[in-house]
Amino acid sequence: MSGAAYLAWRYLLHHRIKTLILVLSIALIVFLPIGLRVLVRQSAAQLTARAEATPLVLGARGSALELVLASLYFDAEPPPSIAYAEATRVDESSLAEAIPLHLGFRTRDKPIVGTTLEYFELRGLHVAAGRMLAVLGECVVGARAAAELGVGPGDALVSSPETVFQLAGVYPLKMRVAGVLAPSHTPDDGAVFVDLKTAWIIAGLGHGHRDLADAKAQTDVAAREGGRITAKASVVEYNEITPENAASFHFHGEQAELPISAILARPRDAKARALLLGRYQAPDEPIQVLRPTAVMDELLETVVTVESYAVAAVGAVGVATLATAGLVFLLSIRLRRREIETLVKIGGSRASVATVLLSEVVGVTLLGIVLAGVLTLVTSRFGEAAIRRFLLS
Amino acid sequence: MRLAALLLLLLLLPACSPESQAPAPDAAATAGPLVVYTVNAPLGWMAQRIGGEAVEVRFPAPADVDPALWSPESETVAAYQGGDLILLNGAGYAGWVARATLRRRALLDTSAGFQDRLIPVEDATTHQHGPKGDHSHGEVAFTTWLDATLAAEQARAVAGALADTRPADAETFATGLAGVESDLAELDHRLADAAASLGEAPILFSHPVYQYLGRRYRLNGRSLHWEPDAHPGAGEWRSLEALLREHPARLMLWEAEPVPSTAQRLKALGVESVVFAPCGNRCGDDWLGAMQDNAARLEAALR
Repeated sequence: MSGAAYLAWRYLLHHRIKTLILVLSIALIVFLPIGLRVLVRQSAAQLTARAEATPLVLGARGSALELVLASLYFDAEPPPSIAYAEATRVDESSLAEAIPLHLGFRTRDKPIVGTTLEYFELRGLHVAAGRMLAVLGECVVGARAAAELGVGPGDALVSSPETVFQLAGVYPLKMRVAGVLAPSHTPDDGAVFVDLKTAWIIAGLGHGHRDLADAKAQTDVAAREGGRITAKASVVEYNEITPENAASFHFHGEQAELPISAILARPRDAKARALLLGRYQAPDEPIQVLRPTAVMDELLETVVTVESYAVAAVGAVGVATLATAGLVFLLSIRLRRREIETLVKIGGSRASVATVLLSEVVGVTLLGIVLAGVLTLVTSRFGEAAIRRFLLS
Repeated sequence: MRLAALLLLLLLLPACSPESQAPAPDAAATAGPLVVYTVNAPLGWMAQRIGGEAVEVRFPAPADVDPALWSPESETVAAYQGGDLILLNGAGYAGWVARATLRRRALLDTSAGFQDRLIPVEDATTHQHGPKGDHSHGEVAFTTWLDATLAAEQARAVAGALADTRPADAETFATGLAGVESDLAELDHRLADAAASLGEAPILFSHPVYQYLGRRYRLNGRSLHWEPDAHPGAGEWRSLEALLREHPARLMLWEAEPVPSTAQRLKALGVESVVFAPCGNRCGDDWLGAMQDNAARLEAALR
């Protein structure tokens, strides 16, 4: 180490507090814009990954963003309903496989997602404890939801109505927990999944009650005309589906007309995808088909714009901080006038003295940059997990 | 300085690459025999005859239950979930399917092609909730395969689904289907000939499961609700005697051998008992053979 560098190093060590403050200031001002960019890119990658894993989303015409957010993240108001026949329409087109979703109900604060087994295949979800859905009235619970609700296989959850105003017609259903899903670090971790038919029962579109043809059920019968029986409004409906009463559950009306919130569609190939997109372009078509990646890209463009403003603001603060640091150095030279004069008197040239002072500045700046680099590496390494843990799951 | 430059370079690298989650290739299209689950024995026979060694047919209903009314345990439903194809009879058969969680992609309603030819059950009960509520739909008869021509249509649906699931074996399935169609056509002719010899003569059915048989072969039949293993009560005998006065049948088709005392009393009334097993569940090793046995018993009774 040269004499100038040694003297600078000793000076910085001697004034530890001042050096530490300067190093931290420089480190933060370098780290903030870069770290922010890393975090935004990681968040964008996470959001995009979910969208990329969802080839197409179909739903009622309206807000594309709400439809995608509700279908992918269960995090928005459920979109207007469409008929189940639309899922059959997609299947019968032979262009794609339809995965219907029914959204809107909750158990405590967790969303209840009515769907089919194909959803679990699409998302690569596996049961970690218990087993997959098998019969009506069962649910499988995401890993985080299970932990927060404190439930496991064999326990029960009760559905709550979509809104507090739905006092008539929608009765809570007691659902048996069949299994708990392995963590996927996606919104699926926070959801409760039921069979689509169970979701319709929660919605009051299907129900079970005593066999009205049975002599014991006479008190539930309002009228009997040949083979047609009219039930009283007071007929008691089961609020839990058990092996004993499961056979009594039925739906009134055609399945094709029952409501779903959205359809996730898996096209057979790129050509089928293009054809399917084309089929829903007519102006009078009540269904919209969306590419989630396109919708999320639009959202992320907005995020990136906000990020640019944030980076600009941090940059302005950085310039002010650097100016302040410069001022600190200049003032420090004035305060060290006697020390500098001593150096000159013992034989140090003005150039040597300047080198010592410059070495101090370079040393502090380098330490700041190294610290900023370490912070950014840490962000880069653990940011993704933190985003998944705190923002997306 | 070099360290700082390296750190900055690392920052410029993409933070992470997006997850690639393209759907996995369909294993059913490539490896091993296709696992085919069915809800009754006739469909199991069809799938096995059509698919041969390219399929592994599974029909987990116990031998002593009526598959139409059977309700499997959750574990059995889970087994059905593992099938590449699940063959349904349709027409409301095996009501448990409507209450089970099964892969939509794997389900095949083999009677979907002739919905308009399903026979409504005359004495089915429907109900509605309130004066203007939607009423439930009436039931339809479900032993579709007793009309051999409808059975052939079901077989064609099975062959089509197998070929869709595994196009590489389409030729095998087409050959298998030709054999099944030939067998069912022969059975159809045999039953038609037997029915022709019966003409308009009235007959009885022990249970309302012969609707498609009756329609296809123009049988002048009336249905009772008698179980082969149960002794009819006095009221049931009185109802039968009353029925025989307006419908003087000399033949009664049973799902299984009736208890001897019932057969003897029927004989005393001039009614011969003939077993014509619908074979919704396993009928020995060979479903077609069991159906041919049905035809042989009918022919013998009419001789």
